[in-house]
Amino acid sequence: MSLRTARALTGTYFTLALLAVTWPGLLPFARIRPFILGLPFSMAWIAAWIAGSIVVLYLLDLVERRYRVDEDESEARVRATPPAGSHPSGPATGTDQGGHS
Amino acid sequence: MEQWVVVTIVISLYLALTLTIGLMAGRRSTDSVTGYVAADRSFGLVVMYFVTGASVFSAFAFLGGPGWAYSRGAAAFYILAYGALGMAPFYWVGPKIAKMGRRHGFVTQAQLITGRFPSRGLSALIAALSLVAFIPYVTIQMRGAGIVIEAVTDGHVPLWLGALVAYGIVIIYVLAAGAMAVGWTNTFQGAFMIVIAWTLGLYLPNRLYGGVGPMFEQIAAARPELLVPPGLDAAGGTWTWGAFSTFILVSAVGLMMWPHLFMKAFTAKDDQTLRRTVILFPTFQLFLIPVFLIGFSGVLFAGTPPSSDFILPFMILETDLPALVVGLFCAGALSASMSTGDALLHASASVVVEDGVAKFVELDEQRQRRLMQLLVLLTGATAYWFALDPDSSLVLLLASAYGIIAQFAPPVVSALYWRRATTPGVLAGLIAGTATAFFFWQMPALKPFDMHEGVLGLLVHIPVLVSVSLMTPEQDAAHVRGFIE
Repeated sequence: MSLRTARALTGTYFTLALLAVTWPGLLPFARIRPFILGLPFSMAWIAAWIAGSIVVLYLLDLVERRYRVDEDESEARVRATPPAGSHPSGPATGTDQGGHS
Repeated sequence: MEQWVVVTIVISLYLALTLTIGLMAGRRSTDSVTGYVAADRSFGLVVMYFVTGASVFSAFAFLGGPGWAYSRGAAAFYILAYGALGMAPFYWVGPKIAKMGRRHGFVTQAQLITGRFPSRGLSALIAALSLVAFIPYVTIQMRGAGIVIEAVTDGHVPLWLGALVAYGIVIIYVLAAGAMAVGWTNTFQGAFMIVIAWTLGLYLPNRLYGGVGPMFEQIAAARPELLVPPGLDAAGGTWTWGAFSTFILVSAVGLMMWPHLFMKAFTAKDDQTLRRTVILFPTFQLFLIPVFLIGFSGVLFAGTPPSSDFILPFMILETDLPALVVGLFCAGALSASMSTGDALLHASASVVVEDGVAKFVELDEQRQRRLMQLLVLLTGATAYWFALDPDSSLVLLLASAYGIIAQFAPPVVSALYWRRATTPGVLAGLIAGTATAFFFWQMPALKPFDMHEGVLGLLVHIPVLVSVSLMTPEQDAAHVRGFIE
């Protein structure tokens, strides 16, 4: 899967999640029965969207990590050749290297 | 031995252990401002996970959560709904903030915003708004700690003393060790409160009703209105969908804009740690399920607590648990209170010094650290003074604190993603948004669709930010490149 697709799908999931737990998306699910694992339906419904977000974020991370290898390399190249005329408040090089290891 | 004595011993042991962990952690930190504010950017996954989780879930979640489930039923589900939504964007935004921190040396939220939009006025405004939002939040944590201790010791340890001892300890380790102590104590406290919540949340329904399912069957038969969103309002009538939905929205937007949580992005060791924290955060969020179960278990229980916020200690005491267990549960509630309180005190001092004072007065590192420590003490004392006064308006103040905090989202997003944003635009938007939120907080009857004042603030904030930015000259391209590649 491409990075773009993975990000779009993740964005879609969280947009749907927001709709699903607020008005009017929650209306059809604002009910007591059927009970799920002993919980009223609406409570289980909201909890399920949270549990689902763990899976979605994990899958996104799998894709992101595959692409990040390339990005880190290109960033390393950029850092090796400092851009001309860097702004006083924002030196793009030097201080940037501390956190990467 | 009398029950309250055993309980007091358990609580004392717990507090001693917390203090030890806090002080030991401090020996690993350097003496610099980055060390005090951002723990030398050294936190790994386990610490980040618990720091984030334990700082988010406070006495408000641990005492207020069951209280809402008990008195307002499904209205409490809003607390469950917003966390994952609010945290998810941080998968991308968090590492970007951390990168800016490393590149420009930022340790606070306002430094990031005013790094992109240079203005001392903007910096001071953010520091002042943060402090206004922080004080009632700390006060609630202190009162929570005091309430729990007073309740479980049968009043032998009064509220003023319980809050004083618990927060005296918090202040000692925050003064001594800053972010490093907050991180390591939160790891201990976070793990502790999860175990306590799940144990008690499953135990009470089983003991009183024979299980979670049977408990809800009985509530559905006797008080079905409690189990259907949007639940009830404070007066017992049906809550509005407008309020339920916008509470979720404003909390999701505001969640990571709380300076004490936002600053955590600067404490992570590397970007992957931040991303993994975001992925795992919803597991912490699910801890609200047992918290709600505790509250629901009180609905059909004979007898009523003095106020709905007391439902947790009330249920513990009314079900004749052994004193040792009561002590442990109490320590769990204290964990929730102290793990948020320490992060709040630490962040408010850091923000006021870094973004308020240091912008106007020249200070060396040593002086800054000293001043932060002095402010931890001052903020703590102010909040303590409020905590002793049972003034209910503070609870209202906390609810609207989210309205203020959510106004930090547009400046942060503009700083990181919108090239055309300008300093006058951001300043105008922040003032307009905060003023709108404040207006509707004062005039709740005028709120359209009963919407949260923070959302109404954002509806004014964003158009003002965009239009004023477009009307003012754009920023120097080289300057913007330092923030947006």
